[in-house]
Amino acid sequence: MKSWTHATLCVAAFALAGCASQTRVPSAPGLGGLPTRVELSGTPFFPQEDHECGPAALATVLGAAGVDATPADLADAIYLPGRQGTLQPELAAAARAHGRLAYELPSSVDAVRAELAAGRPVLVLQKLGAGPWPGWHYAVVFGYDRDKDEILLRSGTQPREVESTRLFDTTWARAGRWAIVVLRPGDLPATPDLERYMSAAASLEAVGRPEDARTAYLSAARHWPEAALPHLGLANLAAARNDWPAAEQGFREAARLEPGNVSALNNHAEALLHMGCPESARREIERAREAAGTGPLAGTVAATRAGIVAAMGEDGPGCPSGR
Amino acid sequence: MTQKAFVCALCLAILNLSSPSVAQAGLVGTLQAVESHTRAQDLATVNAALARDEVRAKFIELGVNPTTVDARVAALTDSELRTLADRMDAMPAGGDFLAIVGLVFVVLMILEFVGVIDIFKKFP
Repeated sequence: MKSWTHATLCVAAFALAGCASQTRVPSAPGLGGLPTRVELSGTPFFPQEDHECGPAALATVLGAAGVDATPADLADAIYLPGRQGTLQPELAAAARAHGRLAYELPSSVDAVRAELAAGRPVLVLQKLGAGPWPGWHYAVVFGYDRDKDEILLRSGTQPREVESTRLFDTTWARAGRWAIVVLRPGDLPATPDLERYMSAAASLEAVGRPEDARTAYLSAARHWPEAALPHLGLANLAAARNDWPAAEQGFREAARLEPGNVSALNNHAEALLHMGCPESARREIERAREAAGTGPLAGTVAATRAGIVAAMGEDGPGCPSGR
Repeated sequence: MTQKAFVCALCLAILNLSSPSVAQAGLVGTLQAVESHTRAQDLATVNAALARDEVRAKFIELGVNPTTVDARVAALTDSELRTLADRMDAMPAGGDFLAIVGLVFVVLMILEFVGVIDIFKKFP
């Protein structure tokens, strides 16, 4: 009996010891385990001036992503004198203006660690104060240590600010656990989510960076081969270039991958119209109308439909065979 | 009948929230497609063009250089503009660092003292 108790205690102690320390073998991200500690000492450092932690933090993560920009360069694009600070959407906008994707991370310290393990520092918002002095502050996480339970930040004038994970998470949680990584258009984050990625990529297209968007969409199509959105994006880019055959093909593929996707159906119908296939376009826009129902795209579909219905006639030669 | 439908469609097109400078007529823009995929667009919020004007005016009010304000506004997506138009004043503006370092320490000390946190256990 004694030996059983002894064995049970040993097993329990071993299990508890396992919980208390990082027992995973350091390994590459994506293989199921993160290293015990990471310190991206090559991360640039720009000591903050006055209230310009936004420009300093952004310059840091842009620098890590291969863009040479100083806080002074960025301040014009993001600093708001009347608020003595920088708004979060403008950080993303400035990253895009430099040809980088600003990807918003899931709200967990693990997601931050995963990016660090993948070699990318993370820009975070913290609420360091309280009440009338909320102390909103941008900093860049560039390391962590699971054993010591610490987070390392480039923060303000400190190149190596050490915070307990708990303090970091508290100040970060009070700021909504907002964090972004800055990616080259072809790169994916450590924990990629289709819709978040496509939102960031489509934002590049929306502000007039079609080549960067295209690179991002191609990466997305490779990573999520069954997803409709990347094909929709590529097709929209083709349409913008007036390459209607390519656009039609892309929209058709998007509609095939996701049969109920209103945007794919709508845009496919529009492309068919441009290809001189009004009959097929009419069929497709009816499908779009049905799928749209009373949802948010109903108005857009109705507008597209009006144009298609007005163009009467039959499909010309060279139209894709009807379904 | 056709004319009525056309006018109706035109009205609906004006209400369409996509940026006219980016999305082609008749096409759902990629960003719009992504956003409708994830959540229903809030049709009650202001139209993108109005949001752009509102944000531009607010930026100027907040001291943005008039020569750079158009570029700054152009760098934002429609949904970012709508968010800013809706609640810019309530959004955090990160930057308030130097003024509150001392206050933070005091606050943390108080919280530690009343037992809310115990991050100072390593301090002598």
